[in-house]
Amino acid sequence: MAVTISGLSKTYPNGVKALKNVSLSIGNIMFGLLGPNGAGKSTLMRTVATLQDPDSGSVHVDDLDVLARKNEVRKILGYLPQEFGVYPKISAVDMLEHLAVMKGVTSPKERKEMVDALLQQTNLWEVRKKALSTFSGGMKQRFGIAQALLANPRLIIVDEPTAGLDPAERNRFLNLLSSIGREVTVILSTHIVADVRELCPRMAIIANGELLLEGAPADTLAALNGKIWSKVVSSDEELKALESQMHVISTHLIAGQHEVRVYSDSSPGDGFQPVDSELEDVYFFNLSQQANN
Amino acid sequence: MRMFWEFFSFEVRLRCKSISTYIYFLVWFTFYFLCVASESFGPVAYANGKVLLNGPYANTVYATGASLFGIIIIAAIFGTSILRDFQRDTYQILFTKPIPKFAYLGGRWAGSLVVTVFAFSGCLLGEYAGTFAPWADHSRIGPNHLSWYIQPFLSITVVQIFFLGSLFFAVAALSRKIFVVYVQGAALFMIYLIGITVFSATRSLERFWSGIFDPIGFVYLDDITRYWTVVERNRLLLSWSPHVGAGVFLYNRLLWLLIGCLSLVALWALFPMSVEALTAVSQGRRAAKAKKQEELELRPVRTLVAARLPRVNRIFSRSTTWAQFLSLSRLRIYIILHEVPFWAITGLMIVFAINNGYFAGRVADVDVWPVTYLMVQAVEGGATLFLFIVAALYAAELIWRERDVHFDGIHDALPMGETIDWISKLVAIAFVEIVLLFVTMLCGILMQTVAGYYHYELLQYFKELYIVTFPQVMVFALLALFVQTMVSNKFIGHGIVIGVVVIVPILFNFGWENTLYLFGNTPPYTYSDMNGYGHFVPALFWSITYWLAVAALLGVISIAWTRRGAEDGWIARQRLAGSRWPSVLPAAVICLVIGLGSGVWYYYNGHVLNEYLNAKQRRQIQANYERNYKKYENLAQPKVIAVDTRIDIDPAHRSFSGWGHYTLRNKTTQPISEVHITDQMQSVSNIKFDRPFHLVSSGPRDIYSIYALEEPLQPGDALQMTFNVGYQSHGFRDGNEKAELAYNGTFFDSGYFPTIGYDRNIELDDPRRRREVHLGPLEELAPRGDQTQSLYNIFFKQSDWITYHAIVSTSGDQIAIAPGYLQRQWQEGGRNFFEYSMGSTNILDFFAYISARYQVRRERYKGTNLEVYYTPGHEYDIDDMLASSKAGLDYYQANYSPYQFAQFRIMEFPRYRTFAQSFPNTVPYSEGIGFIGRVVKKNDIDITYFVTAHELGHQWWAHQLIGGNVQGSNMMSETLAEYSALMVMEKKYGKDNMHRFLRHELDRYLRGRGTEVRHEPPLALVQREPYVWYQKGGQIMYTLADYIGEDKVDAALHNFLMQYRYANATNSQTTPYPDTRLLEANLRAQAPPELQYLITDGFDSIVLYDNKAVSATVTPTADHKYKVTLVTQARKVKADGNGNETPMPLNDYIEIGVFKGKKDEEQPLYLKKVKLTQEQNTFEIVVDEMPTRAGIDPYNKLVDRIADDNMIDVAH
Repeated sequence: MAVTISGLSKTYPNGVKALKNVSLSIGNIMFGLLGPNGAGKSTLMRTVATLQDPDSGSVHVDDLDVLARKNEVRKILGYLPQEFGVYPKISAVDMLEHLAVMKGVTSPKERKEMVDALLQQTNLWEVRKKALSTFSGGMKQRFGIAQALLANPRLIIVDEPTAGLDPAERNRFLNLLSSIGREVTVILSTHIVADVRELCPRMAIIANGELLLEGAPADTLAALNGKIWSKVVSSDEELKALESQMHVISTHLIAGQHEVRVYSDSSPGDGFQPVDSELEDVYFFNLSQQANN
Repeated sequence: MRMFWEFFSFEVRLRCKSISTYIYFLVWFTFYFLCVASESFGPVAYANGKVLLNGPYANTVYATGASLFGIIIIAAIFGTSILRDFQRDTYQILFTKPIPKFAYLGGRWAGSLVVTVFAFSGCLLGEYAGTFAPWADHSRIGPNHLSWYIQPFLSITVVQIFFLGSLFFAVAALSRKIFVVYVQGAALFMIYLIGITVFSATRSLERFWSGIFDPIGFVYLDDITRYWTVVERNRLLLSWSPHVGAGVFLYNRLLWLLIGCLSLVALWALFPMSVEALTAVSQGRRAAKAKKQEELELRPVRTLVAARLPRVNRIFSRSTTWAQFLSLSRLRIYIILHEVPFWAITGLMIVFAINNGYFAGRVADVDVWPVTYLMVQAVEGGATLFLFIVAALYAAELIWRERDVHFDGIHDALPMGETIDWISKLVAIAFVEIVLLFVTMLCGILMQTVAGYYHYELLQYFKELYIVTFPQVMVFALLALFVQTMVSNKFIGHGIVIGVVVIVPILFNFGWENTLYLFGNTPPYTYSDMNGYGHFVPALFWSITYWLAVAALLGVISIAWTRRGAEDGWIARQRLAGSRWPSVLPAAVICLVIGLGSGVWYYYNGHVLNEYLNAKQRRQIQANYERNYKKYENLAQPKVIAVDTRIDIDPAHRSFSGWGHYTLRNKTTQPISEVHITDQMQSVSNIKFDRPFHLVSSGPRDIYSIYALEEPLQPGDALQMTFNVGYQSHGFRDGNEKAELAYNGTFFDSGYFPTIGYDRNIELDDPRRRREVHLGPLEELAPRGDQTQSLYNIFFKQSDWITYHAIVSTSGDQIAIAPGYLQRQWQEGGRNFFEYSMGSTNILDFFAYISARYQVRRERYKGTNLEVYYTPGHEYDIDDMLASSKAGLDYYQANYSPYQFAQFRIMEFPRYRTFAQSFPNTVPYSEGIGFIGRVVKKNDIDITYFVTAHELGHQWWAHQLIGGNVQGSNMMSETLAEYSALMVMEKKYGKDNMHRFLRHELDRYLRGRGTEVRHEPPLALVQREPYVWYQKGGQIMYTLADYIGEDKVDAALHNFLMQYRYANATNSQTTPYPDTRLLEANLRAQAPPELQYLITDGFDSIVLYDNKAVSATVTPTADHKYKVTLVTQARKVKADGNGNETPMPLNDYIEIGVFKGKKDEEQPLYLKKVKLTQEQNTFEIVVDEMPTRAGIDPYNKLVDRIADDNMIDVAH
């Protein structure tokens, strides 16, 4: 299953350009979509998930034209929106049963097996008969994951799936996702770089509606090898000075002091140490490059 | 104080920025503008044509109406003002600051008060603006008096805002629950409506306490103003005085002001000004919830290793679509059934239905068996509002639910068609409505059982609830679904839906009456036990089909426009709709074809096969008739002296045809060369005379034709006239079906036959309507003694007395009846034929033809054949009718004159019309007022017995003695029939029961005066005022009999009758018809001199008493008796036709009484008529037993506007 996105553009009625001529090709893999808030990730994912039409461009899943044949896509789709709520008064198991029917699982036996397995996997088994509306944020998110994985979808689109999960649940989810199988395409959007690092053979970074980078995380890391330098600065004045002089890609606080990471082909000066590039550097580097342009 | 000002001005500023404030204002403005600017709108405009639309009474009614409908606005403004801080959690910030309680609560409260008063000022300004509308009826708009605006506004509206606002404010502040705030207004509104229906259904005449405790004001408004005449309505405001209307208004207002103050005090005392106290409960709950969740999360975590998920097969076939549809429907129904509001609505609906069902067996103050049509009407009436609320509410909830709960992202990406999703919403509503209708039916069956009626007609419940009502509710639900789909906001959608509901009756009132464009409208129908749904079925079927198709088309359009996906923009939705059109187009075309087809068929029937006229156009025909032909009113015309008819009724086609033969005689002294004929029903054709003639002219619709006789008809000569008569029903009409023609229960009268000359009964009589068509005031009847008009009788100008013969036929399963003795009965061609003849007995020119499938009860009583023709199943009243007939025959023959016929027949007809009418020896009697009566308690009024005696009485009063075509003559038939019936009833039920009955009659008379549109005449000059000739006439005659003796009154009537009966029967017209002067003279001849004033007061003027027991005390006497000291007040006034009163000197005999026993069950210890000449009187009366009650005119024999203060408890 391959998702081919070509020339996708979208401008909202309020003038916001959410996507600018984005083209992407996604194979049978787990694909990570990185980007800051408001980058256009959700717009892109909603477009692939048949919920929105672009102004121009096309999306194909294999030979299937997503924009023209939405219902065919929906039959193989598992989608977890970034934000969602639940009906009042209805329990997790009833709701999953219902969604399984909607997703074409017509055999009651298979339906039950699938729903039970998902409830177990998402650790909702104990509360399956409780009303969804009483769930906490994390439980609700797990329910969302369960419904997205329902009925062996071949195209899974999960928008910020790890938001609101505690570390243990996040691990469980990532394990679950990676065990799903080979023939499945997963598009996962996140602003947590670690998610992508741990899970995705390929990734893309988008910001302000533009595709900044696409590739395997390892390749992108290699490209920055030896070009990231780090220095601990003690005062804000110094930080300001550095910002104006160099290509600063990120700063971190370490015990109250700023660690500045700088991109440079050679040593940028005194006090800078070469460091191993991390995926986060790739991310910030691309963002800052776009900002500078 | 500065802080108070801070909060106050903040509240006001916030509200000034809110659009809702201006919407409230505008709603009031528009409503009251229309109340004045349009005569087809509003409570006053529609009621009485003489009451000023901007007068004091009108303003009082408007203010009271605003008090009721404003509840919701008051609740919205006051409730939310205090809740705002708790909803937005700003209270945490607020209450950590040092704010005085007074400033916070007081500021919010005062700000809300000012804003609410502003919103309600729209009432005043709208009304004021309405008075300047150039198109308004300015004869009903007086000069604007400031005090007429301000006094009701301050004393009713503002007090109401204060009281309800404070109450709602306190409840909101103390509960701090959004649900309570939103529901309290609606709940009070509903509870009040229930209370009012219960109260009015108890038919209580008690008004004092109920008036004081009425929180809105309709009870005291009715209590104080019910007897107000036009003059009073245009001059008086509700008075603050404790002496007017027993001070009910003053005490009421004070009571509710006090309640308002108490609410504020309670709020002050109980409202905590600290965050801790305010949130203690909710914090506790929140903590408990968090703890529980934590427990859930901390359960032993399963292995981190993910197992592979099982493989499933996904199949998308037709059966999957069906399964998806079922699952969606089930889910939607499940959610509705698990929500509190649904059960709250259902609960309220049950309360309403049960309450209405409880009173289903009471029609117009009388107990009847709660037959299914009454019960279904009652429970459905209680439930309908809820059915529509549920439809509108859940249409919105279902359309918006995914978006409201943010489940749309997941839902919209499911592999399903929009169609099944949308239809599942419709199905959910349908399911809920079906359940509610079932509950309604259970309520009906329950209440029938409670009432002891066990003949449940389940099929009728089913037809009414599921075949007639359910589709109409669904039409409305489809509209709501459509609106909610198209609009961008749920509340705008609700507004539009309510707007559609409100606009339909308004358009109807303004003359837009067409079923095909009034959304969801169906023509009116009435179920009858005799005729089922009868001829209403096709019009109902096609109109429902039409609206279902139209609504379904809206449904299809909404499917195409269904929101799906993330984009709600119009352009995006249009694109989606465009892509969906091809798949829904076939359905749209089918709906369109059905809608067009049924609409065209409906139009063809309602507008092409049958002429379509709205109410205004029908009035225009009447107006034109008067305008064009009034000039012929006094043209000399021959009179009908013999009628021979042949009528063939075809019940299955609601048609009849036949011919008639009139013998006309020139009773005047001059030759007559033209015969004028009115054909109001357009049912006459082929008029021929037995001598050469030609048609001179014929008006539009042939309603008035003039024939010239080539050779004039000489005085004394007779002329033969023949004509065809008939009426063919074609298809169905858009409303206004002829009630006279039915599959089972045909009943039409001589109105279908030609009328000789001009018929003044066609004239418009409502002054409002006359002004509308620019006709002057209605011409009054001629004064008594008018020589010309005394040669005509009051009912039928074209004839005096006639002989009558008829052959009438009907279908093979029905019996056909006309006045006369049955001569022959045979069958021919599968039809039943009957020949009736009156032989040589003279009757009034008033006959009818009746046909139905009857069961007959026959009895012979002292030479008279009594017959009751009834529908099987309606046996309840037969014995009562026969008993009343016998008692009446005995009484009337003994006291008045012999009965002129050898038979008396009663026959049932469908309840499309609700009256009984006396034709010669023949009384058609509606199933709506008889046949299902039941007398349970000893206090119950046996109305069947009374009506039967009344109609029998007409065989004397009208059919023997009839007055001339002058003022007052109507009372000689109606009042005397009423008196006769009262006497017959008293013999059976006794004086106590009569007292009760007459109290209701007095109430109706006094209310009738208040609604008089012309001027109230004295009894002896009555013209068109039923409340005078029935209610007042009965009371006056009854009292007269009580004062001078029943035997004396009967003797007077006997003498009068024997002298004037069959007046003007000769050819020479030498004995004019009597008028009320002659009746009075006969009564005076029997009355002693000191009681002559009773006749003068009762007949010749309008006299009202104000009698009152002021105090009564008892002291034991030495010889073990009891001495009662009774202080009374007696006043007497004379009113003119408009209600202006002038005091009269008192010189009257009035009853003084002392009683034992409880209130309403008093038994007299002492009762005597005493001559009173002064207002205040003190009596000392010694009685043998311990008295409990005492008073003046205790039995309300005199016309007294405050009837219930005549008796008082005796103090010890």
